[in-house]
Amino acid sequence: MTQYDRKTIEELIDGTIDFYKLKEMLSNFKDADRFEKYISILQERVKWEDLILLPAGLHLYYVQKPEGSRVVKCDCGHEFCEAGDNWKLHALIYVRDTPEKLAELYPNMLAPDPKWQVIREYYCPSCATQLEVEAVTPWYPILQDFEPDIDAFYTEWLHRPLPQTKS
Amino acid sequence: MRTDKTKKAQILAIDAGGTMTDTFIIDDHGDFVVGKAQSTPEDESIGLLNSARDALTYWGSSVEDEFPKLLAGVYSGTAMLNRLVSRNGRRVGLIVNKGMEDFHRMGRGIQSYLGYSYSDRLHLNTHRFDPPLVPREWTKGITERVDLFGSVIIPLYEQEVEPAVLELLKQDVEAIVISLLHSYKYPAHERRIRDIARETIKKAAKDIPVFASVDYYPVRKETHRTNTTIIEAYAADPSRETLAKIDRMLKAHGADFDLRVMASHGGTISTQANELARTLVSGPIGGVIGAKYLGEHLGIRNIACSDIGGTSFDMALITQGDLSINTSPDMARLVLSLPLVAMDTVGAGAGSFVRIDPNFKSLTLGPDSAGSKVGVCYPEGGLNTVTVTDCHVILGLINPNNFLGGEVQLDPDRAYAAVKEQIADPLGLTVEDAAYGVIDLLESQLRNYLESMILGKGYSPSQYVCFSYGGGGPLHTAGYTKNLGFEDVLVPAWAAGFSAFGCGAADFEYRYDKTLDINVDADAEDDQKLIGGRELQHVWDELMEKVAGEFEKNQFDKEDVDFRLYFRMQYQGQLNDLEIEAPIKTFRRVDDWDALVEAFEATYTRVYAKAATSPELGYSITGAIIRGVVEVAKPRISEEPSEGETPPADAFLGKRSVYWKGEWLKADIWEMEKLKPGNRIQSFAILESPATTFVIPTGFETYLDAHRIFHLKEL
Repeated sequence: MTQYDRKTIEELIDGTIDFYKLKEMLSNFKDADRFEKYISILQERVKWEDLILLPAGLHLYYVQKPEGSRVVKCDCGHEFCEAGDNWKLHALIYVRDTPEKLAELYPNMLAPDPKWQVIREYYCPSCATQLEVEAVTPWYPILQDFEPDIDAFYTEWLHRPLPQTKS
Repeated sequence: MRTDKTKKAQILAIDAGGTMTDTFIIDDHGDFVVGKAQSTPEDESIGLLNSARDALTYWGSSVEDEFPKLLAGVYSGTAMLNRLVSRNGRRVGLIVNKGMEDFHRMGRGIQSYLGYSYSDRLHLNTHRFDPPLVPREWTKGITERVDLFGSVIIPLYEQEVEPAVLELLKQDVEAIVISLLHSYKYPAHERRIRDIARETIKKAAKDIPVFASVDYYPVRKETHRTNTTIIEAYAADPSRETLAKIDRMLKAHGADFDLRVMASHGGTISTQANELARTLVSGPIGGVIGAKYLGEHLGIRNIACSDIGGTSFDMALITQGDLSINTSPDMARLVLSLPLVAMDTVGAGAGSFVRIDPNFKSLTLGPDSAGSKVGVCYPEGGLNTVTVTDCHVILGLINPNNFLGGEVQLDPDRAYAAVKEQIADPLGLTVEDAAYGVIDLLESQLRNYLESMILGKGYSPSQYVCFSYGGGGPLHTAGYTKNLGFEDVLVPAWAAGFSAFGCGAADFEYRYDKTLDINVDADAEDDQKLIGGRELQHVWDELMEKVAGEFEKNQFDKEDVDFRLYFRMQYQGQLNDLEIEAPIKTFRRVDDWDALVEAFEATYTRVYAKAATSPELGYSITGAIIRGVVEVAKPRISEEPSEGETPPADAFLGKRSVYWKGEWLKADIWEMEKLKPGNRIQSFAILESPATTFVIPTGFETYLDAHRIFHLKEL
């Protein structure tokens, strides 16, 4: 059975892992306890107490509140919305939709035409961390990347009960 | 019985690995001893001498007594490859066409996944480019351009050369490589840069070597050619001094021969050879050379070579007495333009790890392996994952007290517990059935590989004699040849040392290649055929001079050299060419052209099909090759009279329980060395020797012939 120590999983999360180690992990069968280790490292790193159910992005988590509700929460503790809601609609959004704004990112003449493509940046209203960037056509709706069925994930994939609330 | 006093050492074969240096000393009866000693990278000759001393203790002899009797010595080592893999070579500067400075570091896409298993090749996340041998900062561009026809489009801007070289010198490079586009078609520019570079270096009072790619590998494909020339400067040339030191050491101990080095094209070359990079890849081809030599001796023209070691299964075909050559092989994750004996390798061996796929609950083998750590049954190895060897121990096929001649003590209980926990219990099988299942799976995989390799090349196993060797080969020979219908299956009694035997049996041979583009249409007039043929002859002459020049370094006259002329030909517009030995000695007349075409079409018919010949397309000659061989001493193949079918009583070691197809059997155990020519052994039998184990399972029998080769027969 494949097994990795906690340090390896931490390096994996931080992106500091040595490529050859990573390659070996990619080529091997997945370690059965990866999810638990991964979540416990994330849990250890955040300052708040709410239980992490699933990561929702690089700085975002689906968490369970003590009274049983599920919300999307940032590293800094800012709570965006209910887990079923679209957190992007609760974030600060900066849209680069003019040649001038795009020129800040691209070398001369390499930027897209804003009539066809814009860059949308999503920020946390509390800590201003950039949470997501998308390159889309201007009329494209604001969609979530990931809409997990948390109950099914726990019961049918992990085969274990959801964390119980105290209440 | 010969005594050790009468031993006559004949051939010395050296395999200098990263940690251990092995020496094989073969006597005039084909008997050999193996010596081992710690490698000494700072001066390899010390480790080699210790290793040879160790070997000769088995004959009760000494280096001082035996070295003067030696007729030849062949070296193969991994020092050069290690220098390359660990990126520990010279600081090399590179001069290329202006505007093309990035092509070396970009490399070929395939370099990002060379050496990977099939599943990783499909898994893009695992792909990665290694850092280039020459970083971008040490790469300089010179304005010049030659097109693919060899016409100068932009002349060489000579005034740019000196400043570029001076800049490289300022960056403290230790060698300079020059590689221009299409230089194989028009070598003048590269050579001019080379000469200016040498002058500049001299004027700057420095002394570093300059390598122009046309002087080494005048062939198409610039990434391959540049990589190979860089390796020449980066890793190969620095090894020259090491080899010279070994040669001096051998001579100081009474040896009277020039040390030769095993090279990728299947011959051995001098330590002073111009192109030393081809000695980088030599280890695994030894066995194929040995099989070819043995085949020539026994009159076998078609041989399927199979070699199982601890980590891989290597296969090669010898067809009509000829090896096939791959002209753009890869090594250390780099594509190269070296001629390499073509081999197919899969990552399945006796040391392969065995696991249960957690998703599908099926057995998987490899692709990684335990290497020298053997398996869980070897406590000192410190492994926890089951290997194929563990399964052998459980089934009773390997004697845990006589593994590698008893040097390594194996613990069957550890193997049993590990197989039970990791394989048998999850699958709901008994430990014995699980272990048998692993061996069965391995053997059917090997059988599939072997069969598909032969069928894939357009041949059938029934046309071939299968040679099985390597430490793990004879253990599985019956399993992987079963039902394939080989004409015969041969296992040399010296299977474990067969690669070294092959190195000792290799010709002293140089092979030089050059790319050509000679197109002659289907309805061409005689004068066109003559122009084409003369161009080919001109290049043959050039290459023959090059080969003769190499042999001169070892005091061989051009008259002593047996030259063999080859050419590569294809139908115009097709993608794959064929390498063919020319049926003519020199090109003189139009008939000679027709003879070349006839030879090409005969080979084409053999490899593909008669119906596929397409003379209406016309012909292209894509390359010229010269192979030059001189006579050298080779190992003798023993010849002993038959002593009847009944094996001598003292060869019988007793019986051992073996689990086979669901039942425990009592297997006869024989000592391989004590069996006599003519002896016939029935199943179930296990033939043990210090370095290999030969299994004769139910449904097979074997007999030993006059040359100490076992023939395995399916009943």
